[in-house]
Amino acid sequence: MDYKAVIIGGSAGSFQVITKIIASLPENYSLPVILCLHRLKHVRSGFVEALSIKSKMPILEPNDKDPIKAGKIYLAPANYHMYVELGNRFTLSTEDVVNHSRPSIDLSFSSASYNYKRKLVGIILSGANKDGALGLKAVNDSGGLTIVQDPSDCQVPTMTQAAISATEVDHVYNTRKIIEFLLNLDS
Amino acid sequence: MVTNEDVQRFITAIKMASTYDFSDYSERSFKRRVEKLLIDNHMDINQLSLKISKDKFFLEKVVRDITVNTTELFRDSDMWITLKHQILPKLKKNKSIFIWHAGCSSGQEIYSMLILLHELGMFEQAKVFATDINSEMLESSKAGVYKYRFNLGYLDNFDKVIKENPLNFEETKDVPYEKYFDIDKVKDTIKMKEFLREKVVFRKHDLVNDGNIFYSKFDLVLCRNVIIYFNNKLQNHVIELFNNSLYRDGYLVLGAHESILGPVSNNFDRTKGFYKKKQF
Repeated sequence: MDYKAVIIGGSAGSFQVITKIIASLPENYSLPVILCLHRLKHVRSGFVEALSIKSKMPILEPNDKDPIKAGKIYLAPANYHMYVELGNRFTLSTEDVVNHSRPSIDLSFSSASYNYKRKLVGIILSGANKDGALGLKAVNDSGGLTIVQDPSDCQVPTMTQAAISATEVDHVYNTRKIIEFLLNLDS
Repeated sequence: MVTNEDVQRFITAIKMASTYDFSDYSERSFKRRVEKLLIDNHMDINQLSLKISKDKFFLEKVVRDITVNTTELFRDSDMWITLKHQILPKLKKNKSIFIWHAGCSSGQEIYSMLILLHELGMFEQAKVFATDINSEMLESSKAGVYKYRFNLGYLDNFDKVIKENPLNFEETKDVPYEKYFDIDKVKDTIKMKEFLREKVVFRKHDLVNDGNIFYSKFDLVLCRNVIIYFNNKLQNHVIELFNNSLYRDGYLVLGAHESILGPVSNNFDRTKGFYKKKQF
């Protein structure tokens, strides 16, 4: 299956998992990796730098209408929603918070699933609210592949449990298995 | 579930009933707001289109709800600090400084700017104009009353921008909030002082259709987190308008994650979110 993009959503307790995942990906990874992570309202800067320390791939907070390219990691900017637009570009928005969150994982996942259809891999990690559950369902409904971090592997399992009850997920994996899976996608 | 055809019918209904044209808005987020509009009004797309064609007040309310009106006092403090220390000092020698807030929404950015100008001793020479597509938003801009609790967090931004000096952390300037706005904790309001409110010329203006409606060019145009709702084509059109409305060496200020794409970007020098119009 030739996938076009990987999208990952995470919240409380996901920082270490994300760091491990991106540290494992090679410099010229063959897909774009889109991250939609909740962060504390007052920790708006320094996040990219913190993630970049371990990453071989470049990590960018995209501008509005930036094209989405393979081999790059895109992080939803603080205080913006991030949509994937047809034509493989990002669109940002300052609309109201969704699920108490901006960026909202549901919005990023739903729009990405609309653009990539079955060529999308959606992954939900540790988190303390239900954002992402409907987004992962949208990925599933469009025929994309869905992965949820094993709740027993999560620091905070609420988000992964919500995703598992909202839709039939393809794989429930611990961090190590998620990394293996992503490395196998690389071509 | 709203289909793309539904969105097109909605856009057509609005076009038929008014001068508003949403054809070139960013698709994903616009579609989502149409969905929300239908849910909030308990209508399907046919009922909504019909009511738009018959009821002008309803149409204005729909336009208010379909456009995004999130704004904060001193949103992105880094931008305001750059403005304070690098941009505004260059304009201080001018006899007049013309400023246009395009897409001002409920007005928090206008008041942030006025407060900063006042602190820099540039209030008198500033001529401040503000526009929005929606008349209700203009009214709330004029009123200058905001929810206290909701804006509480943004008072930190006021402190950062107005009271602190980023080059010297030991230096702080004691500026009481009451100098610029009254806080009423019981009513849960922040109300801007009258001398700020009466400083601004407000006009209704649609970036899609209207040109520069003021008989002036500008030293500063602020249009932050507005063009993210437009597609590339409309973005270029609007940047062209700003380019033509700026004095040479004037600055266009966009949102932290907006950029100018395409050929018109050659007319500007960029530093962070500030675009300086080049001399030709």
